[in-house]
Amino acid sequence: MEFDALLLSRIQFAFTIAFHIIFPSFTIGLASYLAVLEGLWLLTRNETFKTLYLFWVKIFALSFGMGVVSGVVMSYQLGTNWSVFSAVAGPVIGPLFAFEVLAAFFLEASFLGVMLFGWKKVGPGLHFASTVLVAFGTLTSAFWIISANSWMQSPSGFAGTVEEGLVAVNWLQVIFSPTFPMRLTHMVLAAYLTTALVVAAASAFRLLKDASEAESAMALKMAIGMLAIVAPLQLLAGDLSGKDVLEHQPAKLAAIEAFWETRSEQAFHIAAWPDREIEGNHWELSIPKLGSLITAGAMDAEVQGLTAFAPEDRPPVFIVFWAFRVMVGLGLAMIALGFWGAWLAWRGRTTRSPAFLRACVAMGPAGFVAVISGWIVAEVGRQPYVIYGVLRTEDAVSPIGAGAVSASLLAFLVVYAIVFSVGALYILRLLAEGPVAGAHEPPPRENRAPGTPLAATPEDPGPSGQETR
Amino acid sequence: MPDIIEGPPDAEAPRPPLHRRLAWFIALALAGMAATGAVAYALRALLGLE
Repeated sequence: MEFDALLLSRIQFAFTIAFHIIFPSFTIGLASYLAVLEGLWLLTRNETFKTLYLFWVKIFALSFGMGVVSGVVMSYQLGTNWSVFSAVAGPVIGPLFAFEVLAAFFLEASFLGVMLFGWKKVGPGLHFASTVLVAFGTLTSAFWIISANSWMQSPSGFAGTVEEGLVAVNWLQVIFSPTFPMRLTHMVLAAYLTTALVVAAASAFRLLKDASEAESAMALKMAIGMLAIVAPLQLLAGDLSGKDVLEHQPAKLAAIEAFWETRSEQAFHIAAWPDREIEGNHWELSIPKLGSLITAGAMDAEVQGLTAFAPEDRPPVFIVFWAFRVMVGLGLAMIALGFWGAWLAWRGRTTRSPAFLRACVAMGPAGFVAVISGWIVAEVGRQPYVIYGVLRTEDAVSPIGAGAVSASLLAFLVVYAIVFSVGALYILRLLAEGPVAGAHEPPPRENRAPGTPLAATPEDPGPSGQETR
Repeated sequence: MPDIIEGPPDAEAPRPPLHRRLAWFIALALAGMAATGAVAYALRALLGLE
């Protein structure tokens, strides 16, 4: 393996995007959670919802900021490391990124200010509108980014060649490429699950210390509800997304399932050791005929194997196969956790089962791991193409030297290690502190000595004559 | 350290007039937009783009 500019650029992009996706996959769900919390507070005036909102909005602000910083890096790499891709596909894919910034990012950035600094100033109604707009902005952002990526997976609505450049001839087909609807659904549900798992873990951690904490108990119940409903739906969405892969990226599907021969009654490999050198699996633990049933919907359905494709057109099998199994395995664990929690909630024992609470804490990072694994399946499985069937990855890289990419990769490793470690540790510290009722209330009135100038005032008016905090 | 994230108004506190609340809403939204634009143009300037 030669560490040339191509491989180093791929490693750099993989490293930076794996870091980046952690934050949007959390903030998409968290923004919606905040909107629900504020809506429930407005409806019921239950102080628990307000306390939870004020706690999670701090985590949201930090995560949003780190997501923005790590996201800026991605767009620059399209120019520095993947300039041929940008030159060839820019007229098609550039506007999708531009729409993301103009329609989604500006929406989020604009109303985040109201959300954080304006509750007293604008009042409850307009503040709730801001929270909803920020949540809508995060979903709109996901829409455009998944649209751009889906076009790279199953390009449609364009004309031209790699040599002369690609142009859009039908924008609706570009935006709504064949795999887009199910991939968007799959990603948004993944974001909701990721958030639910973090909320459940943070709440369970607090409840293990103090089982009577009302805010954490409420948050845990909400997270369990989300897991119990969304995790099974995610399995369905994933299956439908897999059907799209079968139709539009058969080589990727063959890699996901480690199918080598084209045949009917394909076995489902629970575990295997696929090897491109021998064009087969060293060993496999399989269930006969189930592979055809899961991937194509019928046990006797014929499904293409990797040998149906030229060796230079096959994706790496080992990484794709195992990343898929990590994602699905964690998804099944999420379903189990959701059902376990629902059963405990039905019996009124959610907060009194240490085993369940410890399981929630252990599953806290599972959403992030599943999301990254899913993206490894999507991106490595698309290889050797950057635009499937149109532009090869090796032809998309910038004409730069390995030394320059090594230097930037090293810089990213160092900067990310420092910046994101500090940010992540601060978020973990906030999570460990948990929601505190009355944290945003004015401080209690100090006892003043009789005869002092302020002894008779009902409240400390503060330096400007307004309420202080 | 003072908490920079603003909590909700007290239930008993008198609500400011609508035009004042709307003015704050617009001002904060524009400030967020302007901050985003300023960072974007600063990055462009840093790269020497027109």
